[in-house]
Amino acid sequence: MELLVQQLFNGLTVGSVYSLVALGLTLVYGILHIPNFAHGALYMLGGYVTLTMMLLWGLNYWLAIVISILVIGLLGVLMERLVFHPLRKAPPIHDKIAAIGILLFLEALAQLIWGADYRTMSTPYGQVINIFGITFTMQRILINVGAIFVMVMLYLFLKKTFVGSAIIAMSQNREGAHLVGINTNKVAMLTFMISGGLAAIAASLSAPINLVFPGMGHLVVLKAFVIIILGGMGSIPGAIVGGYILGFTESLGATYISNDYKDLIAFLLLVIILSIKPQGLFAKGGH
Amino acid sequence: MRRFRLSTLMIVLSFIFVLAGCVENPSTNQGSEEGETKAEVEKGEKVVNIGYSGPLSGPAAFYGERTLNGIKLAVEEINNNGGFDVNDQTYKINLVSLDDKYLPNETAANAKRLLQEHNTPIIFTPHSGGVQAMQVFNEKENFLIGAYTSEPSITETGNSLTVRIPPRYDGYMEPFTKYQMERFGKKLAALPTSTQYGKDWTEMLLPHWKENGGEVVHESSIDFAKDTDFFTMITNALKEKPDVLFIGGPSEPTAKVAKQARELGFEGGFIIMDQAKLDEMKKVTGSYDVLEGAIGVMPLVNADYPGTPQFVENYREKYGEDPGSEAGLNYIATYIFVEAMKAAGTVDDPKAIRSHIQDGLDNLPKEKQVYVIPEIGEDGGFKADLSVAAVEDGKIVPIKVKE
Repeated sequence: MELLVQQLFNGLTVGSVYSLVALGLTLVYGILHIPNFAHGALYMLGGYVTLTMMLLWGLNYWLAIVISILVIGLLGVLMERLVFHPLRKAPPIHDKIAAIGILLFLEALAQLIWGADYRTMSTPYGQVINIFGITFTMQRILINVGAIFVMVMLYLFLKKTFVGSAIIAMSQNREGAHLVGINTNKVAMLTFMISGGLAAIAASLSAPINLVFPGMGHLVVLKAFVIIILGGMGSIPGAIVGGYILGFTESLGATYISNDYKDLIAFLLLVIILSIKPQGLFAKGGH
Repeated sequence: MRRFRLSTLMIVLSFIFVLAGCVENPSTNQGSEEGETKAEVEKGEKVVNIGYSGPLSGPAAFYGERTLNGIKLAVEEINNNGGFDVNDQTYKINLVSLDDKYLPNETAANAKRLLQEHNTPIIFTPHSGGVQAMQVFNEKENFLIGAYTSEPSITETGNSLTVRIPPRYDGYMEPFTKYQMERFGKKLAALPTSTQYGKDWTEMLLPHWKENGGEVVHESSIDFAKDTDFFTMITNALKEKPDVLFIGGPSEPTAKVAKQARELGFEGGFIIMDQAKLDEMKKVTGSYDVLEGAIGVMPLVNADYPGTPQFVENYREKYGEDPGSEAGLNYIATYIFVEAMKAAGTVDDPKAIRSHIQDGLDNLPKEKQVYVIPEIGEDGGFKADLSVAAVEDGKIVPIKVKE
């Protein structure tokens, strides 16, 4: 019983990180139909910027996260302006190639700047809390609470604000949104900004339980792609639900079936869900 | 518009670079990329090229850099001291390093390039795959491999031009098993890295553990390149309440595994694969308290060989970090090769150099003995006492290994 609860908690933690990364990916896909492979690199840079702020200026963890969100958000905007916007009329394959190019560039850049070593991000939240034989650490609780908080804020933003509605309108119908006077350029930039910010939050929250290194983006971005395919490309609830499904499958699969086959189990689940609902769990569109 | 875009790009880039410049990051200060450490040759002096092929980019780049740094430091010292004399001719060393991204096929290609362009009598490489790739043709093409890997199989194939620098890892099984069984108990859970090296280690350790009356309660592995969080796997490994946990891989993630195991309430000991180093793990965990009861390779900075303190000081001064055994062993190997060249009276006959390695070991000055290596075996492996250490009461304690 303790084992089950512990593993559910572990699954929740990993699922939260996955969901946050998948959200950024799905937002961009929903609006611009670009599979942004460079999202993993944004995640990695988010971790590095937070770490740099903490080490260099001795900034408070939370302040460092805020700066990281801004920097990575702006980097997202820059990517949109410099790469994806000029390619908007090109065939879709060009976007994909460009995204992979950005990924490679940013990774090499990170290695040049920060080196190839593993770095540790230490936060003031290392306390271990033990309740009924189940181990929580402050950082893990932070990841879970933080992820839910961010999801709620994102939901409120999209549903209750004018700008948010514009984003949803554009994901439903780009031309239509343009016709009713929505500035699609601005919305695209804003979407990239939010997407980058989400990656930065995910990386900053999860880095203390792992390490910061140039390859850290690979860990999550492939899984994030699985999640958005599972949840329905471009669907926001799909990304959230998909993230938690994958997190729980991994932790429970590793416990009750086999650790060596946990990826196999996750992908098997993907195959099953897609054969029942080929469009993913949630159909694409403004939800 | 275009101008605006360009200038924004420039501003952002410069911002990033400013940030980068400020972060303390000693290991990237020296050019880690491919390159040559050119020797300044004076009149009447000749140059001998020495080759290196290892991972200088990608996930294992930090490891490649550390091994290369050891060789570099030795080469620079030798050159700054006026080179070395072979048959009254003074030579200086030119170190040519190439990146193989940890891929054996790239190592082989690099070796060919080093031979054709630089005519290198010796090529160093820090991974067993690369060594095996070069062993296919090194006897035919006539060059010596400076093999930095503790994989026993590379010297079991009878290659006459391979020198294995570190001790074989199978020697660790006995002292590690004995220590942990006596101190903690007989239940072992294995959770090392999922690389080939991790698997080889597991296959050797687990039977040994069972032979000595131990029990293996969990066997699994962690892929550090794929898993974001280790809690799930550690929870499973601790399910059967093991007394000892076998972990390993690069130092930093291995340290995270140890730390998370403690968070999950594990109070036993750790057997640490020789790839991870206790002192590097301490940087992640903050103190040795977390690693209490861990047994692993003696950190170089804690070793008491005659040349160690001087080497550690020089290395710290140049690279701003503590050297590990990767740097130390490659450093001493470079000196041994040079002494062997002197004894052989040639710089370009690998066979003669190989047959004079023992003289090189004997002639090695005391102050350069970062490790004490008394002899080289018939198979081409250096034979040295294993230096093993355990963490007891928050301190590194040397553990005697019986021959």
